[in-house]
Amino acid sequence: MNARTSPGAVYAAPVILFLVLAFAMPIVIVVWYSLMPPRTFDLTLAFTLENYRAAFVDGYGKPLMWSLIGATLTTIACALLAWPTAKALHAHVGRAAAVITALIALPIFISESVRLFGLSVFMMPKGGILAGSLNAAFGIELGSVLNTRLAALLGMIYIHFPFMLFPVLLGVEMIPRDRVEAARDLGANGGQVFREVELPLAMPGLMIGGLLTFVLALGANAEAAILGGRAVTVITAAIDQRFNYGQDWPSGSALTVLVIVVTVIIVLPVLARFDLARLTRR
Amino acid sequence: MASESATDRPVILSLAGLTRTFGTLRAVDGITLDIPDGEFITIVGPSGSGKSTLVRLLAGLEVPTAGTIHLRGVDITQVPANRRPTALVFQSLALFDHRSVGQNIEFAMKMKGVAADVRRARAMELLALVRLPESFYARPVTQCSGGERQRVALARALGSDPEILFFDEPLSAIDYRLRKTLEVELKDLHQRTGKTFVYITHSLEEAMVMSDRIAIMQAGRFVQIGTPAAIYGAPVNRFVASFMGEVNILSVAGDRFVVLDLPVVAKGAHAVLRPEDLRLGHGAAIRLTAMMRHKMMLGSRTQVHFEAGGMTLIAEVPSGEAEPLSAGAMVALSFDPASLAWVPE
Repeated sequence: MNARTSPGAVYAAPVILFLVLAFAMPIVIVVWYSLMPPRTFDLTLAFTLENYRAAFVDGYGKPLMWSLIGATLTTIACALLAWPTAKALHAHVGRAAAVITALIALPIFISESVRLFGLSVFMMPKGGILAGSLNAAFGIELGSVLNTRLAALLGMIYIHFPFMLFPVLLGVEMIPRDRVEAARDLGANGGQVFREVELPLAMPGLMIGGLLTFVLALGANAEAAILGGRAVTVITAAIDQRFNYGQDWPSGSALTVLVIVVTVIIVLPVLARFDLARLTRR
Repeated sequence: MASESATDRPVILSLAGLTRTFGTLRAVDGITLDIPDGEFITIVGPSGSGKSTLVRLLAGLEVPTAGTIHLRGVDITQVPANRRPTALVFQSLALFDHRSVGQNIEFAMKMKGVAADVRRARAMELLALVRLPESFYARPVTQCSGGERQRVALARALGSDPEILFFDEPLSAIDYRLRKTLEVELKDLHQRTGKTFVYITHSLEEAMVMSDRIAIMQAGRFVQIGTPAAIYGAPVNRFVASFMGEVNILSVAGDRFVVLDLPVVAKGAHAVLRPEDLRLGHGAAIRLTAMMRHKMMLGSRTQVHFEAGGMTLIAEVPSGEAEPLSAGAMVALSFDPASLAWVPE
């Protein structure tokens, strides 16, 4: 080994190679395809912006908007649900908390589609588990939210809740008990303790959970397809349609690149505010 | 229990039968105490004696199982911490690390809705009071040293303008020299503010330096309450005496010291012989010969450890007198029976 080659670079080479092949290459290929003429399957040097022009003209704005609205609402709803849940789980350490944590975590190991079809069966009007049982037992006639935007949103919250809960739980565990006591001793009421102490101290967990949930929800399409019926088309469904049904890879790639750009624009400023290295050191 | 009310000032805090149990453990077991306004009272006890639980009850961070707390005659037993006009300096200090020094000090005022410029002016006064430069106002708490953090915690507690300040062993994690400095500053601060201080510590030595009155706590109860001089001069039992740190406790059976096998006119079960009262040479009435083990230079005085009849005797003598002593030598020692403090049980 000569003096100029640092051993760090040599030892890191396999990992760098893997990252380039597995993470950078697919993105490069997608960007390349997005610049190819519509409905072609070759990667050539005949670049064109035709697909991007088409993406803006052909009405893909609405699916993208639904995806963004869905992801935002899912993130907010999950955060609102996760905070009290995390506080309760943290406060009651022991068997019950472990069982509840496991019950929330276990569904992650089951296929998302299976869970969503389960939820669909649960929500079905008349013969569904909820409506059917209520009808049989009490004679209650229940409408159904199935095949509405609300059903899709409920599915999104149901699927993504664990991804919010566990980072938030870590965040809540980062709040030292004595800080809360000190704040109370100095005259802070419940709301002030939350605003001045708990929220800032748990913010890293909340932010990580929020980013994870938002990015996953932005890329989700099964919820809308299985629970939302035809009520809503999300951008991922549109991309899927371009690749499979439309057999137009360049068009699908252009839409994909647009979603990535939108995600980066939203996520990067949040990430920049939080020093991840500082978080893990605490 | 020897209780003394050394002052005729009005009572600010009155505890009656205060009890806190955790399962079968009676952490605080029927404490009754009146604290006069402006007193510096220190509660001393070993870990597990219930002293921290007691101060948490007083601050409102624990709810008593039984008993009452009255503040200037008003029952505050059920009043939560945030509505008690008291402030606690935590053992961990519990500073808000996500805020600056100034924001920490202003916390209580901000909670009360005090205007920002008023808060800032008061924070500057408090910084001066705890001897921190004004430049600390904007500094992150995380960039403060141990002693500076102590001062910030003190200023933060004073920032709520409390009627009573509680201290839960705040100096226990500090090195000796800084602790000594802060003890003196704390006593000085007590005199300047005129507020009531209730201080918790495991060190009787620390209590002696600062307090008007000391309460010794064991297993949830007060064993002895009195002025530092009263406790040092007449510990009520062996537990209190053993708490006094480096003293010789000589047990007595009949009219003889048990281990030393010397005659004495017994006035209690144990005699406390302070290191400074054990002299070299046979100049005093009770005489013995002991083997010199170690000596430790304390400056102008030297602490010498002797062994006699299997027990260690500690003497503190002028360094000049200790110089000729060498380890293993047999040394003549004596003490005056009048200098002994007698412990009844």
